[in-house]
Amino acid sequence: MLTHDFTINASSIFSVRERRQLVPLLLCAPLLLLLLAFLVWPLAHLFQQSLLLTDTPAAGITLRNYLEIASVPRYRHALLWSLELSLAVAACSTLICLAPAWLFTRYQFRGKLVMRGILTLPMTFAGMIVGFLMVILLGRTGFIPQMFERLTGTPFLSGIGYQFPGLILDYLYFEIPRATLTLESALCKLDSRLEQAARSLGANRWHVFRLVVLPAIWPALISTFAVTFSVSLGSFGVLLVLSIRRFTLLPLEIFTQYIAPPTDQGIAAAMSLTLLTVAFLTGYGLRRVTRRMGITHA
Amino acid sequence: MHRNIGFIFCLTVTIALMAMILLPLVVVVLGSCINASLLGLSTDLWSGSLHDILDFSAFGYIFENYGDWALFSLELAIACVAICLLIAVPAGYALARYPFPGSGLVEELVLLPFSLPGITLSMGLLATYGELRGPLLVLAGHLLYTIPFMLKVVTATLRSFDVGQLETAARSLGASFPQRLFLVVLPNLRHAMMVGSLLVFAVSWGEFNVSFLLNRGRPQTFPAVLYDTYTNQSIQISSAATTIFLAIVIPAVIAIQWFGGRESVEVEQGA
Repeated sequence: MLTHDFTINASSIFSVRERRQLVPLLLCAPLLLLLLAFLVWPLAHLFQQSLLLTDTPAAGITLRNYLEIASVPRYRHALLWSLELSLAVAACSTLICLAPAWLFTRYQFRGKLVMRGILTLPMTFAGMIVGFLMVILLGRTGFIPQMFERLTGTPFLSGIGYQFPGLILDYLYFEIPRATLTLESALCKLDSRLEQAARSLGANRWHVFRLVVLPAIWPALISTFAVTFSVSLGSFGVLLVLSIRRFTLLPLEIFTQYIAPPTDQGIAAAMSLTLLTVAFLTGYGLRRVTRRMGITHA
Repeated sequence: MHRNIGFIFCLTVTIALMAMILLPLVVVVLGSCINASLLGLSTDLWSGSLHDILDFSAFGYIFENYGDWALFSLELAIACVAICLLIAVPAGYALARYPFPGSGLVEELVLLPFSLPGITLSMGLLATYGELRGPLLVLAGHLLYTIPFMLKVVTATLRSFDVGQLETAARSLGASFPQRLFLVVLPNLRHAMMVGSLLVFAVSWGEFNVSFLLNRGRPQTFPAVLYDTYTNQSIQISSAATTIFLAIVIPAVIAIQWFGGRESVEVEQGA
C-alpha cells in the first residue's frame, strides 16, 4: 500500500516537471517552425548561393562574388554610398530628435499628445512614399520652388531633393518617429533630480548637459544610432522613385539585379549578405555595447 | 515647469520637424482633389479638368483600376493580425513566464528582422521557395516583419507586472488552467494585444520591399499600387493613391498613440 502511494507521487512529480518543460516548448513550436522555415533556412540558403558562381556552380565554394563587390567600381560605390548616407542619416536623426524627445519627457504643456502623434506619423511609410512626397515638395516643379518663383522670381531650392543633402532630408523624414520614440523611452527613465542637484551646486546649463545628462543618455544615443542606421541601410525606395542616375545604393543594386533579366544570383546573394552583415553587426554590436554600459551605469 | 531657453529651443526644433512632416502630406491630399493651378503648381504634370475647383476623378480611377489590390492588401494585413495573435501571444506568454534553455536565443531570433533589410530576406526566400512565389510567400514575409512587434508588446506587458503571482493566487483559490488562462492571463493582455494588432496592421499595410519582390501577377499589395502610379501615372492620380494610403495608415497610427501611450514606446523601433 505504501509503495503504491509512493510510486503515484513520484510519477505525478515527474509529470509536473515534464509538463513544465513541454508546455512552453509546445506554445513556442509554431513560432519556432515559422522562424526556421522562413528565416534561418532561407538565409542559410542565400549564404550558400553567395559562395557559388552563378555560371559554374560546380566550381565549388569561392569568395569570388564578394571580391567582385569590392572590385567592380559600380558595386563598390554603391556600398560606400550606402554606408555614407546611412551614417549621415543616423547621426542627423539622433541629434535632431533629441530636441522633441527632451521636450516630450521634460515639459508638460497643452497639445503635447498631438505633436507626438504628428511626429510618429511616418513610422510605417515605405521609402518610396517619402520619395514621392519630396518630388511634390522639392522636385523641379515642386511646391516650394514654385512658391518661391512666384514670390521672388527665382525657383529657390529647386531640385535639391535630387542631391545628397536632399536625400538625407528624405531619409530623416521616416527616421524621425523611430529616433524620437527610442530616445524618449530612454530619457523618461532619467531622473531629473540629478540635473536639479547639479544646477543647485552651481553648474551652468551646458555643464549639466555635458557632465550629467550626456553620460546618462549615451547608451540611448548609441542604440538610436544603431536603429536608424540599420533601417537606412536597407531602404532604397526613395531612390527608386527619384531615379537619380549618378547615384546608387547597395539595396537598389540588388533590386535592379533581380528585376533586370540577366540576373547574377551569386552576386545578388553576396550583396544581400553584405548588407545584412553590416546592418546586423552594427545593430547587434552597438546594442551589446549599450547593454554593457547600462550595467556599469546602474 | 519653468519655461526657459531650453524649452523654446526644443519647441522650435519640434515645430520645424512637424512642419516638415505635415507640409508634403497637406500638399498631396489637396493635390489629389483640387485644381493644381490653384495650389500654384504647374499644370502640365497634373491631369484632370482645369475648370472645376474640386475634381475627384482620380479617386474613381484608383478604385476602378486598383480596387482589388487595395482589398488584397487589407486582407493580407488582417490575416497577419490573426496569425500574429495565434502564434506570437502564446509564444510570448511561454517566453516571459516559463523561460527555458535557449529561450533567450529564440527572442533574439524573433527580433532579427528589425535589423534585417527587406531585400535580403526577399532574396533568401526567393532562392529557397522560388516556385512558391505568390500571396502565400508574401504572407510569410509579412509575418516575419510583424511578429516581432506583437511578441515585444506581449512580453513587455507580461514582464511589467507579476502574472506569476496572479496565476498562483488564482490557482490557490482553485482555478483550473482554462479558468486562469481566460480569466487572469488574457484579460491582462487585452491592452497589449490591441496595441500589437494595430502595429501589425499598420506595418503590414505599409510594407513594400518584401511584398513587391515576392509577389507575382495581380493583385499586388497597395504600396505596389503607389509604385505603379508613381512610375506610370500623372501626379494627380499618384496623389489620390497616396491619399487613400494615408487614410488607412494615419487612423491606425493615431489609435496606437491613443491606446499605447508610453508602453508602446519601446516597441515601435523596428523597420
